[in-house]
Amino acid sequence: MQHINLWVTRACRWGVGIAFAVLILAVLVQVIGRTIGVSPVWSEELTRFGLLYLAAFGAGLALVSGDLVNVDVICETLPPPWPRRLRLVSALLVTGLCALLIGPAWKFTSIGVMQTSPALRLRMDFVHASVLILLGSLLIFSLLRVLGMIFNDESGLPSQPEIPS
Amino acid sequence: MNVLILLSVFAACLVIGVPIAIALGLSSLAYLFAVGIPFVVMPQKMYAGMDVFVLLSIPGFILAGNLMNGGGITERIIRFANSMVGWIRGGLGLTNVAASMLFGGITGTAVADAASIGSVMIPGMKKAGYPADFSAAITAASSTVGPIIPPSVPMIIVGALSGISVGKMFLAGAIPGILMGLAMMLTAYVIAVRRKFPRQEWLGFKELGRSFVSAFWAISMTGLIIYGLLSGFATPTETAVVASVYAFAVGTFVYRELPIRAVPKILIDSAISSAAILVLVGFANVFAWILVSERIPQAIAASILSITDNRFVIILIINILLLIVGMFMETIAALIILFVPLLTLATAVGIDPIHFATLVVLNLMIGLTTPPVGVCLFICANIARLPLTPVIKAIFPFLLTNIAVLLLVSYIPALSTWLPSVLTK
Repeated sequence: MQHINLWVTRACRWGVGIAFAVLILAVLVQVIGRTIGVSPVWSEELTRFGLLYLAAFGAGLALVSGDLVNVDVICETLPPPWPRRLRLVSALLVTGLCALLIGPAWKFTSIGVMQTSPALRLRMDFVHASVLILLGSLLIFSLLRVLGMIFNDESGLPSQPEIPS
Repeated sequence: MNVLILLSVFAACLVIGVPIAIALGLSSLAYLFAVGIPFVVMPQKMYAGMDVFVLLSIPGFILAGNLMNGGGITERIIRFANSMVGWIRGGLGLTNVAASMLFGGITGTAVADAASIGSVMIPGMKKAGYPADFSAAITAASSTVGPIIPPSVPMIIVGALSGISVGKMFLAGAIPGILMGLAMMLTAYVIAVRRKFPRQEWLGFKELGRSFVSAFWAISMTGLIIYGLLSGFATPTETAVVASVYAFAVGTFVYRELPIRAVPKILIDSAISSAAILVLVGFANVFAWILVSERIPQAIAASILSITDNRFVIILIINILLLIVGMFMETIAALIILFVPLLTLATAVGIDPIHFATLVVLNLMIGLTTPPVGVCLFICANIARLPLTPVIKAIFPFLLTNIAVLLLVSYIPALSTWLPSVLTK
Protein backbone atom coordinates (compact mmCIF):
# COMPACT_ATOMS: atom_id res chain seq x y z
CA MET A 1 0.00 0.00 0.00
CA GLN A 2 2.89 2.36 0.80
CA HIS A 3 4.18 1.69 -2.69
CA ILE A 4 0.84 2.78 -4.20
CA ASN A 5 0.78 5.84 -1.94
CA LEU A 6 4.28 6.83 -3.05
CA TRP A 7 3.47 6.31 -6.71
CA VAL A 8 0.22 8.30 -6.61
CA THR A 9 1.84 11.12 -4.61
CA ARG A 10 4.71 11.32 -7.09
CA ALA A 11 2.31 11.33 -10.07
CA CYS A 12 0.18 14.08 -8.54
CA ARG A 13 3.21 16.19 -7.64
CA TRP A 14 4.43 15.94 -11.23
CA GLY A 15 0.92 16.77 -12.45
CA VAL A 16 0.53 19.81 -10.22
CA GLY A 17 4.05 21.01 -11.05
CA ILE A 18 3.50 20.71 -14.81
CA ALA A 19 0.08 22.42 -14.60
CA PHE A 20 1.61 25.33 -12.65
CA ALA A 21 4.54 25.58 -15.07
CA VAL A 22 2.10 25.69 -18.03
CA LEU A 23 0.09 28.43 -16.27
CA ILE A 24 3.22 30.52 -15.59
CA LEU A 25 4.62 30.07 -19.12
CA ALA A 26 1.26 30.91 -20.75
CA VAL A 27 1.02 34.13 -18.72
CA LEU A 28 4.62 35.07 -19.52
CA VAL A 29 3.99 34.46 -23.24
CA GLN A 30 0.95 36.73 -22.92
CA VAL A 31 2.93 39.53 -21.22
CA ILE A 32 5.95 39.29 -23.53
CA GLY A 33 3.69 38.94 -26.59
CA ARG A 34 1.78 42.09 -25.67
CA THR A 35 5.01 43.99 -25.07
CA ILE A 36 6.38 43.16 -28.51
CA GLY A 37 3.02 43.53 -30.21
CA VAL A 38 2.18 39.90 -31.06
CA SER A 39 -0.21 38.76 -28.36
CA PRO A 40 -1.39 35.18 -28.96
CA VAL A 41 -5.14 34.63 -28.57
CA TRP A 42 -4.77 31.20 -26.96
CA SER A 43 -2.68 32.17 -23.93
CA GLU A 44 -5.59 33.21 -21.67
CA GLU A 45 -7.44 29.97 -22.41
CA LEU A 46 -4.35 27.86 -21.73
CA THR A 47 -3.84 29.70 -18.43
CA ARG A 48 -7.39 28.81 -17.35
CA PHE A 49 -6.91 25.16 -18.28
CA GLY A 50 -3.61 25.14 -16.39
CA LEU A 51 -5.40 26.39 -13.27
CA LEU A 52 -8.12 23.72 -13.54
CA TYR A 53 -5.51 20.96 -13.80
CA LEU A 54 -3.51 22.51 -10.96
CA ALA A 55 -6.63 22.15 -8.78
CA ALA A 56 -7.25 18.64 -10.12
CA PHE A 57 -3.81 17.21 -9.28
CA GLY A 58 -3.39 19.30 -6.13
CA ALA A 59 -6.71 18.38 -4.48
CA GLY A 60 -5.62 14.99 -3.12
CA LEU A 61 -2.22 16.35 -2.04
CA ALA A 62 -4.01 19.19 -0.21
CA LEU A 63 -6.08 16.60 1.67
CA VAL A 64 -2.91 14.75 2.72
CA SER A 65 -1.00 17.90 3.74
CA GLY A 66 -3.90 19.39 5.70
CA ASP A 67 -4.20 22.39 3.35
CA LEU A 68 -7.86 21.39 3.02
CA VAL A 69 -8.64 22.87 6.41
CA ASN A 70 -11.15 21.53 8.90
CA VAL A 71 -12.55 22.70 12.22
CA ASP A 72 -10.80 20.35 14.64
CA VAL A 73 -11.38 22.33 17.82
CA ILE A 74 -14.17 20.00 18.96
CA CYS A 75 -13.15 16.59 17.68
CA GLU A 76 -9.48 16.82 18.66
CA THR A 77 -10.28 17.77 22.26
CA LEU A 78 -12.39 14.67 22.90
CA PRO A 79 -10.85 11.88 25.00
CA PRO A 80 -9.08 9.08 23.09
CA PRO A 81 -9.91 7.10 21.04
CA TRP A 82 -12.62 9.50 19.76
CA PRO A 83 -10.37 11.90 17.81
CA ARG A 84 -8.96 9.00 15.78
CA ARG A 85 -12.42 7.47 15.26
CA LEU A 86 -13.77 10.81 14.00
CA ARG A 87 -10.78 11.18 11.68
CA LEU A 88 -11.65 7.78 10.26
CA VAL A 89 -15.32 8.78 9.83
CA SER A 90 -14.17 12.01 8.17
CA ALA A 91 -11.92 10.10 5.73
CA LEU A 92 -14.78 7.69 4.99
CA LEU A 93 -17.09 10.63 4.25
CA VAL A 94 -14.56 12.12 1.82
CA THR A 95 -14.26 8.73 0.11
CA GLY A 96 -18.05 8.35 -0.01
CA LEU A 97 -18.65 11.82 -1.46
CA CYS A 98 -16.05 11.37 -4.18
CA ALA A 99 -17.24 7.83 -5.01
CA LEU A 100 -20.79 9.15 -5.44
CA LEU A 101 -19.61 11.99 -7.67
CA ILE A 102 -17.29 10.03 -9.96
CA GLY A 103 -20.20 8.86 -12.16
CA PRO A 104 -21.72 12.36 -12.56
CA ALA A 105 -18.23 13.78 -13.18
CA TRP A 106 -17.72 11.20 -15.95
CA LYS A 107 -21.06 12.27 -17.47
CA PHE A 108 -20.03 15.93 -17.25
CA THR A 109 -16.73 15.06 -18.94
CA SER A 110 -18.55 13.20 -21.73
CA ILE A 111 -20.76 16.24 -22.43
CA GLY A 112 -17.59 18.07 -23.48
CA VAL A 113 -17.02 15.74 -26.46
CA MET A 114 -19.36 17.85 -28.55
CA GLN A 115 -17.70 21.17 -27.67
CA THR A 116 -14.35 22.70 -28.53
CA SER A 117 -12.62 25.62 -26.89
CA PRO A 118 -12.77 28.81 -28.98
CA ALA A 119 -9.04 29.66 -29.18
CA LEU A 120 -7.11 26.41 -28.78
CA ARG A 121 -9.74 24.30 -30.56
CA LEU A 122 -9.29 21.74 -27.78
CA ARG A 123 -12.06 19.20 -27.21
CA MET A 124 -13.76 20.30 -24.00
CA ASP A 125 -13.95 16.78 -22.55
CA PHE A 126 -10.19 17.09 -21.95
CA VAL A 127 -10.89 20.25 -19.95
CA HIS A 128 -13.99 18.94 -18.14
CA ALA A 129 -11.90 15.89 -17.16
CA SER A 130 -10.12 18.16 -14.66
CA VAL A 131 -13.15 17.82 -12.33
CA LEU A 132 -13.05 14.04 -12.77
CA ILE A 133 -9.32 13.99 -11.90
CA LEU A 134 -9.95 16.32 -8.93
CA LEU A 135 -12.56 13.97 -7.48
CA GLY A 136 -10.45 10.93 -8.42
CA SER A 137 -7.35 12.25 -6.62
CA LEU A 138 -9.42 13.06 -3.53
CA LEU A 139 -10.98 9.60 -3.69
CA ILE A 140 -7.63 7.80 -3.96
CA PHE A 141 -5.93 9.73 -1.15
CA SER A 142 -8.91 9.48 1.20
CA LEU A 143 -9.21 5.74 0.49
CA LEU A 144 -5.49 5.31 1.19
CA ARG A 145 -5.99 7.19 4.46
CA VAL A 146 -8.91 4.91 5.42
CA LEU A 147 -6.92 1.77 4.57
CA GLY A 148 -3.84 3.08 6.37
CA MET A 149 -5.89 3.78 9.49
CA ILE A 150 -7.57 0.37 9.45
CA PHE A 151 -4.66 -1.89 8.50
CA ASN A 152 -1.49 0.07 9.40
CA ASP A 153 -2.70 1.76 12.58
CA GLU A 154 -1.98 5.22 11.10
CA SER A 155 -3.21 8.30 12.96
CA GLY A 156 -5.09 9.84 10.03
CA LEU A 157 -3.55 13.24 10.80
CA PRO A 158 -2.30 15.45 7.96
CA SER A 159 1.30 14.82 6.96
CA GLN A 160 3.84 16.36 4.63
CA PRO A 161 4.81 14.00 1.79
CA GLU A 162 8.40 12.88 2.12
CA ILE A 163 9.26 12.30 -1.51
CA PRO A 164 10.70 15.03 -3.69
CA SER A 165 9.06 15.72 -7.03
CA MET B 1 -37.09 21.75 5.04
CA ASN B 2 -34.57 21.15 2.23
CA VAL B 3 -32.48 24.11 3.34
CA LEU B 4 -32.58 22.69 6.85
CA ILE B 5 -31.09 19.44 5.51
CA LEU B 6 -28.36 21.44 3.76
CA LEU B 7 -27.44 23.43 6.86
CA SER B 8 -27.68 20.56 9.37
CA VAL B 9 -25.48 18.21 7.29
CA PHE B 10 -22.98 21.04 6.89
CA ALA B 11 -22.94 21.77 10.64
CA ALA B 12 -22.66 18.08 11.56
CA CYS B 13 -19.73 17.60 9.18
CA LEU B 14 -17.92 20.63 10.64
CA VAL B 15 -18.37 19.34 14.19
CA ILE B 16 -16.84 15.94 13.42
CA GLY B 17 -13.84 17.52 11.68
CA VAL B 18 -14.59 16.90 7.99
CA PRO B 19 -12.59 19.36 5.79
CA ILE B 20 -14.75 22.43 5.16
CA ALA B 21 -14.69 21.97 1.36
CA ILE B 22 -15.93 18.38 1.73
CA ALA B 23 -18.57 19.46 4.28
CA LEU B 24 -19.89 21.93 1.69
CA GLY B 25 -19.91 19.13 -0.91
CA LEU B 26 -21.65 16.58 1.33
CA SER B 27 -24.35 19.01 2.44
CA SER B 28 -24.95 20.10 -1.16
CA LEU B 29 -25.19 16.47 -2.24
CA ALA B 30 -27.70 15.74 0.56
CA TYR B 31 -29.78 18.71 -0.63
CA LEU B 32 -29.68 17.59 -4.28
CA PHE B 33 -30.74 14.10 -3.19
CA ALA B 34 -33.63 15.47 -1.09
CA VAL B 35 -34.86 17.75 -3.86
CA GLY B 36 -34.31 15.17 -6.62
CA ILE B 37 -31.89 17.20 -8.73
CA PRO B 38 -29.42 15.05 -10.76
CA PHE B 39 -25.95 14.88 -9.20
CA VAL B 40 -24.32 15.94 -12.50
CA VAL B 41 -25.12 19.50 -11.42
CA MET B 42 -22.31 19.25 -8.86
CA PRO B 43 -19.35 18.78 -11.23
CA GLN B 44 -20.91 21.39 -13.53
CA LYS B 45 -21.14 23.99 -10.77
CA MET B 46 -17.71 23.09 -9.38
CA TYR B 47 -16.20 23.62 -12.82
CA ALA B 48 -18.02 26.93 -13.24
CA GLY B 49 -16.84 28.09 -9.81
CA MET B 50 -13.19 27.31 -10.50
CA ASP B 51 -13.11 28.53 -14.11
CA VAL B 52 -13.20 32.21 -13.16
CA PHE B 53 -10.65 34.55 -14.72
CA VAL B 54 -9.83 36.46 -11.51
CA LEU B 55 -8.94 33.26 -9.60
CA LEU B 56 -6.01 32.74 -11.98
CA SER B 57 -4.01 35.26 -9.97
CA ILE B 58 -4.15 33.28 -6.70
CA PRO B 59 -1.34 30.75 -7.39
CA GLY B 60 0.90 33.54 -8.70
CA PHE B 61 0.54 35.71 -5.59
CA ILE B 62 1.02 32.69 -3.29
CA LEU B 63 4.14 31.65 -5.23
CA ALA B 64 5.56 35.19 -5.19
CA GLY B 65 5.10 35.37 -1.40
CA ASN B 66 6.63 31.94 -0.83
CA LEU B 67 9.62 32.66 -3.09
CA MET B 68 10.27 35.94 -1.27
CA ASN B 69 9.87 34.18 2.05
CA GLY B 70 12.35 31.49 1.01
CA GLY B 71 14.75 34.16 -0.25
CA GLY B 72 15.67 35.68 3.10
CA ILE B 73 13.36 38.68 3.30
CA THR B 74 12.14 38.14 6.88
CA GLU B 75 15.35 39.21 8.64
CA ARG B 76 15.84 42.15 6.26
CA ILE B 77 12.32 43.46 6.82
CA ILE B 78 12.62 43.07 10.60
CA ARG B 79 15.98 44.87 10.57
CA PHE B 80 14.50 47.78 8.61
CA ALA B 81 11.39 47.94 10.82
CA ASN B 82 13.58 47.81 13.93
CA SER B 83 15.78 50.67 12.78
CA MET B 84 12.63 52.75 12.17
CA VAL B 85 10.72 52.20 15.41
CA GLY B 86 12.87 50.02 17.68
CA TRP B 87 14.10 53.05 19.71
CA ILE B 88 10.59 53.85 21.01
CA ARG B 89 9.49 52.35 24.39
CA GLY B 90 8.33 48.80 23.66
CA GLY B 91 10.20 49.12 20.39
CA LEU B 92 10.30 45.43 19.52
CA GLY B 93 6.49 45.30 19.74
CA LEU B 94 6.29 48.20 17.31
CA THR B 95 8.92 46.56 15.11
CA ASN B 96 6.75 43.45 15.05
CA VAL B 97 3.73 45.40 13.76
CA ALA B 98 5.76 47.42 11.24
CA ALA B 99 7.38 44.22 9.93
CA SER B 100 3.93 42.64 9.50
CA MET B 101 2.75 45.67 7.52
CA LEU B 102 5.76 45.46 5.19
CA PHE B 103 5.47 41.67 4.99
CA GLY B 104 1.75 41.98 4.21
CA GLY B 105 2.64 43.97 1.13
CA ILE B 106 4.57 40.98 -0.14
CA THR B 107 2.79 37.78 0.86
CA GLY B 108 -0.84 38.72 1.42
CA THR B 109 -1.54 35.85 3.78
CA ALA B 110 -1.82 36.18 7.55
CA VAL B 111 -0.66 32.63 8.30
CA ALA B 112 2.64 33.08 6.42
CA ASP B 113 3.15 36.37 8.25
CA ALA B 114 2.48 34.87 11.69
CA ALA B 115 4.79 31.92 11.04
CA SER B 116 7.66 33.87 9.43
CA ILE B 117 7.71 37.00 11.58
CA GLY B 118 6.76 34.99 14.68
CA SER B 119 9.62 32.51 14.38
CA VAL B 120 12.13 35.39 14.47
CA MET B 121 10.37 38.02 16.59
CA ILE B 122 8.81 35.94 19.40
CA PRO B 123 12.09 34.32 20.57
CA GLY B 124 13.86 37.68 20.04
CA MET B 125 11.31 39.58 22.13
CA LYS B 126 11.43 36.98 24.91
CA LYS B 127 15.21 37.22 24.97
CA ALA B 128 15.01 41.03 25.22
CA GLY B 129 12.78 40.80 28.30
CA TYR B 130 9.29 41.05 26.82
CA PRO B 131 6.64 38.72 28.32
CA ALA B 132 6.05 35.66 26.12
CA ASP B 133 2.25 36.14 26.08
CA PHE B 134 2.57 39.75 24.86
CA SER B 135 5.10 38.72 22.22
CA ALA B 136 2.81 35.98 20.87
CA ALA B 137 -0.30 38.17 21.06
CA ILE B 138 1.15 41.13 19.17
CA THR B 139 2.56 38.82 16.47
CA ALA B 140 -0.82 37.12 15.99
CA ALA B 141 -2.77 40.39 16.02
CA SER B 142 -0.46 42.21 13.61
CA SER B 143 -0.36 39.29 11.15
CA THR B 144 -3.98 40.06 10.25
CA VAL B 145 -2.96 43.21 8.38
CA GLY B 146 -1.32 40.97 5.76
CA PRO B 147 -4.46 40.17 3.77
CA ILE B 148 -5.79 43.73 4.13
CA ILE B 149 -2.74 45.53 2.75
CA PRO B 150 -2.41 44.56 -0.95
CA PRO B 151 -1.93 41.94 -2.34
CA SER B 152 -4.65 39.86 -0.71
CA VAL B 153 -6.09 36.42 -1.48
CA PRO B 154 -9.46 37.19 0.23
CA MET B 155 -9.77 40.37 -1.88
CA ILE B 156 -9.23 38.28 -5.05
CA ILE B 157 -12.03 35.93 -3.92
CA VAL B 158 -14.27 38.97 -3.38
CA GLY B 159 -13.42 40.08 -6.91
CA ALA B 160 -14.40 36.64 -8.23
CA LEU B 161 -17.68 36.64 -6.30
CA SER B 162 -18.82 40.16 -7.04
CA GLY B 163 -17.15 41.22 -10.27
CA ILE B 164 -15.49 44.18 -8.53
CA SER B 165 -12.05 44.91 -10.02
CA VAL B 166 -9.28 43.20 -8.03
CA GLY B 167 -7.15 46.31 -8.41
CA LYS B 168 -9.88 48.43 -6.78
CA MET B 169 -10.27 45.88 -3.98
CA PHE B 170 -6.51 45.91 -3.32
CA LEU B 171 -6.55 49.70 -3.13
CA ALA B 172 -9.61 49.66 -0.86
CA GLY B 173 -7.65 47.66 1.71
CA ALA B 174 -4.61 49.95 1.76
CA ILE B 175 -5.82 52.72 4.12
CA PRO B 176 -7.69 50.38 6.53
CA GLY B 177 -4.59 48.13 6.65
CA ILE B 178 -2.28 51.03 7.44
CA LEU B 179 -4.78 52.35 10.02
CA MET B 180 -4.93 48.93 11.70
CA GLY B 181 -1.14 48.77 11.82
CA LEU B 182 -0.77 52.27 13.29
CA ALA B 183 -3.53 51.63 15.85
CA MET B 184 -1.84 48.42 16.97
CA MET B 185 1.49 50.27 17.29
CA LEU B 186 -0.22 52.85 19.51
CA THR B 187 -1.76 50.10 21.64
CA ALA B 188 1.61 48.35 21.95
CA TYR B 189 3.22 51.64 22.97
CA VAL B 190 0.60 52.33 25.67
CA ILE B 191 1.01 48.80 27.06
CA ALA B 192 4.81 49.17 26.92
CA VAL B 193 4.75 52.44 28.88
CA ARG B 194 2.36 51.05 31.50
CA ARG B 195 4.30 47.80 31.94
CA LYS B 196 7.75 49.44 31.55
CA PHE B 197 8.90 47.31 28.64
CA PRO B 198 12.49 47.86 27.47
CA ARG B 199 13.63 50.20 24.73
CA GLN B 200 16.80 50.21 22.73
CA GLU B 201 19.14 52.92 21.56
CA TRP B 202 18.41 54.84 18.35
CA LEU B 203 20.57 53.06 15.80
CA GLY B 204 21.14 56.15 13.71
CA PHE B 205 20.27 57.27 10.20
CA LYS B 206 23.19 55.29 8.82
CA GLU B 207 21.67 51.99 10.00
CA LEU B 208 18.22 53.16 8.86
CA GLY B 209 19.62 53.82 5.39
CA ARG B 210 21.56 50.55 5.29
CA SER B 211 18.60 48.45 6.44
CA PHE B 212 16.37 50.21 3.89
CA VAL B 213 18.79 49.41 1.08
CA SER B 214 18.95 45.81 2.30
CA ALA B 215 15.14 45.46 2.36
CA PHE B 216 14.55 47.64 -0.73
CA TRP B 217 14.21 44.82 -3.27
CA ALA B 218 11.73 42.95 -1.10
CA ILE B 219 9.60 46.01 -0.30
CA SER B 220 9.66 47.06 -3.96
CA MET B 221 7.51 44.06 -4.82
CA THR B 222 4.50 45.81 -3.26
CA GLY B 223 5.18 48.78 -5.55
CA LEU B 224 5.55 46.49 -8.55
CA ILE B 225 2.18 44.84 -7.81
CA ILE B 226 0.37 48.15 -7.30
CA TYR B 227 1.95 49.63 -10.43
CA GLY B 228 1.05 46.54 -12.45
CA LEU B 229 -2.58 46.77 -11.45
CA LEU B 230 -2.94 50.55 -11.69
CA SER B 231 -1.12 51.08 -14.96
CA GLY B 232 -3.72 49.02 -16.79
CA PHE B 233 -0.87 47.30 -18.59
CA ALA B 234 -1.24 43.98 -16.79
CA THR B 235 -4.14 41.91 -15.46
CA PRO B 236 -3.98 40.69 -11.82
CA THR B 237 -2.84 37.26 -13.09
CA GLU B 238 -0.05 38.76 -15.17
CA THR B 239 0.98 40.99 -12.25
CA ALA B 240 1.10 37.95 -9.95
CA VAL B 241 3.26 35.91 -12.34
CA VAL B 242 5.62 38.83 -13.02
CA ALA B 243 5.87 39.31 -9.23
CA SER B 244 6.82 35.62 -8.93
CA VAL B 245 9.57 36.02 -11.52
CA TYR B 246 10.74 39.15 -9.68
CA ALA B 247 10.72 37.32 -6.33
CA PHE B 248 12.74 34.47 -7.86
CA ALA B 249 15.29 36.90 -9.32
CA VAL B 250 15.65 38.84 -6.05
CA GLY B 251 15.95 35.69 -3.89
CA THR B 252 18.39 33.95 -6.23
CA PHE B 253 20.52 36.69 -7.76
CA VAL B 254 20.25 39.72 -5.45
CA TYR B 255 19.95 38.25 -1.93
CA ARG B 256 21.49 34.91 -2.99
CA GLU B 257 19.57 33.07 -0.29
CA LEU B 258 17.18 31.14 -2.52
CA PRO B 259 18.94 28.02 -3.86
CA ILE B 260 17.64 26.91 -7.28
CA ARG B 261 17.13 23.39 -5.91
CA ALA B 262 14.59 24.77 -3.40
CA VAL B 263 12.41 26.29 -6.14
CA PRO B 264 10.57 23.11 -7.30
CA LYS B 265 9.44 22.40 -3.72
CA ILE B 266 8.27 26.01 -3.25
CA LEU B 267 6.46 25.82 -6.60
CA ILE B 268 4.68 22.60 -5.71
CA ASP B 269 3.82 23.69 -2.15
CA SER B 270 2.37 26.93 -3.54
CA ALA B 271 0.38 24.94 -6.10
CA ILE B 272 -1.01 22.66 -3.38
CA SER B 273 -2.05 25.67 -1.24
CA SER B 274 -3.74 27.19 -4.30
CA ALA B 275 -5.43 23.87 -5.13
CA ALA B 276 -6.88 23.75 -1.60
CA ILE B 277 -8.44 27.20 -2.16
CA LEU B 278 -9.79 26.17 -5.57
CA VAL B 279 -11.34 22.96 -4.24
CA LEU B 280 -13.02 25.04 -1.55
CA VAL B 281 -14.21 27.53 -4.18
CA GLY B 282 -15.53 24.68 -6.37
CA PHE B 283 -17.60 22.97 -3.66
CA ALA B 284 -18.67 26.30 -2.15
CA ASN B 285 -19.98 27.39 -5.55
CA VAL B 286 -22.47 24.50 -5.46
CA PHE B 287 -23.47 25.43 -1.91
CA ALA B 288 -23.83 29.12 -2.83
CA TRP B 289 -25.87 28.20 -5.94
CA ILE B 290 -28.30 26.29 -3.72
CA LEU B 291 -28.60 29.25 -1.33
CA VAL B 292 -29.31 31.58 -4.25
CA SER B 293 -31.84 29.21 -5.88
CA GLU B 294 -33.62 28.92 -2.52
CA ARG B 295 -33.64 32.75 -2.42
CA ILE B 296 -31.83 32.75 0.94
CA PRO B 297 -30.05 36.10 0.28
CA GLN B 298 -33.42 37.76 -0.35
CA ALA B 299 -34.91 36.05 2.72
CA ILE B 300 -32.04 37.26 4.94
CA ALA B 301 -32.29 40.77 3.51
CA ALA B 302 -36.09 40.86 3.91
CA SER B 303 -36.04 39.56 7.48
CA ILE B 304 -33.41 42.08 8.60
CA LEU B 305 -35.05 44.93 6.68
CA SER B 306 -38.35 44.07 8.37
CA ILE B 307 -36.66 44.87 11.71
CA THR B 308 -34.84 47.98 10.54
CA ASP B 309 -33.80 49.76 7.37
CA ASN B 310 -31.40 52.05 9.22
CA ARG B 311 -28.03 51.75 7.48
CA PHE B 312 -26.13 52.43 10.73
CA VAL B 313 -27.88 49.53 12.51
CA ILE B 314 -27.57 47.19 9.52
CA ILE B 315 -23.80 47.74 9.32
CA LEU B 316 -23.63 46.97 13.04
CA ILE B 317 -25.68 43.76 12.56
CA ILE B 318 -23.45 42.67 9.64
CA ASN B 319 -20.32 43.34 11.72
CA ILE B 320 -21.58 41.36 14.71
CA LEU B 321 -22.66 38.46 12.49
CA LEU B 322 -19.31 38.35 10.68
CA LEU B 323 -17.28 38.61 13.89
CA ILE B 324 -19.19 35.62 15.28
CA VAL B 325 -18.80 33.66 12.01
CA GLY B 326 -15.09 34.55 11.91
CA MET B 327 -14.65 32.98 15.35
CA PHE B 328 -15.68 29.59 13.98
CA MET B 329 -15.22 29.53 10.21
CA GLU B 330 -12.28 29.50 7.86
CA THR B 331 -11.97 32.85 6.03
CA ILE B 332 -12.35 31.77 2.40
CA ALA B 333 -15.28 29.43 3.14
CA ALA B 334 -17.08 32.12 5.16
CA LEU B 335 -16.45 34.63 2.38
CA ILE B 336 -17.86 32.39 -0.36
CA ILE B 337 -20.94 31.39 1.61
CA LEU B 338 -21.85 34.72 3.15
CA PHE B 339 -20.59 37.42 0.80
CA VAL B 340 -23.35 37.30 -1.81
CA PRO B 341 -26.27 36.99 0.69
CA LEU B 342 -24.97 39.90 2.76
CA LEU B 343 -24.13 41.99 -0.32
CA THR B 344 -27.83 41.79 -1.27
CA LEU B 345 -28.69 43.26 2.12
CA ALA B 346 -25.93 45.88 1.96
CA THR B 347 -26.87 47.15 -1.49
CA ALA B 348 -30.54 47.27 -0.46
CA VAL B 349 -29.64 50.00 2.04
CA GLY B 350 -27.25 51.77 -0.32
CA ILE B 351 -23.87 50.57 1.00
CA ASP B 352 -21.14 50.81 -1.65
CA PRO B 353 -20.01 47.26 -2.66
CA ILE B 354 -16.30 48.17 -2.31
CA HIS B 355 -16.91 49.58 1.17
CA PHE B 356 -18.94 46.51 2.09
CA ALA B 357 -16.34 44.08 0.74
CA THR B 358 -13.57 45.80 2.71
CA LEU B 359 -15.43 45.54 5.99
CA VAL B 360 -16.27 41.89 5.35
CA VAL B 361 -12.57 41.06 4.82
CA LEU B 362 -11.60 43.11 7.90
CA ASN B 363 -14.13 41.22 10.03
CA LEU B 364 -12.97 37.82 8.86
CA MET B 365 -9.31 38.74 9.38
CA ILE B 366 -10.03 39.69 12.99
CA GLY B 367 -11.54 36.19 13.25
CA LEU B 368 -8.09 34.71 12.62
CA THR B 369 -7.07 35.82 16.10
CA THR B 370 -10.19 34.93 18.05
CA PRO B 371 -10.82 31.64 19.85
CA PRO B 372 -11.98 28.92 19.38
CA VAL B 373 -10.79 28.82 15.71
CA GLY B 374 -8.01 31.40 15.39
CA VAL B 375 -5.26 30.01 13.18
CA CYS B 376 -2.79 32.85 13.80
CA LEU B 377 -3.41 32.62 17.54
CA PHE B 378 -2.53 28.89 17.48
CA ILE B 379 0.64 29.44 15.43
CA CYS B 380 1.97 32.18 17.70
CA ALA B 381 1.10 30.38 20.96
CA ASN B 382 2.91 27.35 19.56
CA ILE B 383 6.05 29.36 18.66
CA ALA B 384 6.03 31.01 22.12
CA ARG B 385 5.55 27.54 23.71
CA LEU B 386 2.55 28.80 25.66
CA PRO B 387 -0.94 27.41 26.25
CA LEU B 388 -3.69 29.35 24.48
CA THR B 389 -5.28 31.00 27.55
CA PRO B 390 -2.52 33.56 28.40
CA VAL B 391 -2.18 34.49 24.71
CA ILE B 392 -5.96 34.99 24.44
CA LYS B 393 -5.82 37.29 27.49
CA ALA B 394 -2.86 39.22 26.07
CA ILE B 395 -4.44 39.66 22.65
CA PHE B 396 -7.59 41.24 24.09
CA PRO B 397 -6.36 44.91 23.88
CA PHE B 398 -5.30 44.35 20.26
CA LEU B 399 -8.67 42.79 19.42
CA LEU B 400 -10.41 45.86 20.84
CA THR B 401 -8.07 48.06 18.79
CA ASN B 402 -8.84 46.16 15.60
CA ILE B 403 -12.57 46.29 16.30
CA ALA B 404 -12.28 50.07 16.83
CA VAL B 405 -10.60 50.38 13.41
CA LEU B 406 -13.30 48.12 11.95
CA LEU B 407 -15.98 50.48 13.27
CA LEU B 408 -14.14 53.47 11.80
CA VAL B 409 -13.96 51.75 8.40
CA SER B 410 -17.61 50.70 8.75
CA TYR B 411 -18.92 54.19 9.38
CA ILE B 412 -16.48 56.25 7.30
CA PRO B 413 -16.84 54.73 3.79
CA ALA B 414 -14.23 57.09 2.34
CA LEU B 415 -11.50 55.16 4.20
CA SER B 416 -12.03 52.30 1.77
CA THR B 417 -13.60 53.97 -1.26
CA TRP B 418 -11.48 57.12 -1.61
CA LEU B 419 -8.23 55.55 -2.84
CA PRO B 420 -9.85 53.36 -5.54
CA SER B 421 -11.93 56.30 -6.75
CA VAL B 422 -8.89 58.58 -7.01
CA LEU B 423 -6.39 56.13 -8.48
CA THR B 424 -8.62 54.20 -10.88
CA LYS B 425 -10.79 55.78 -13.52
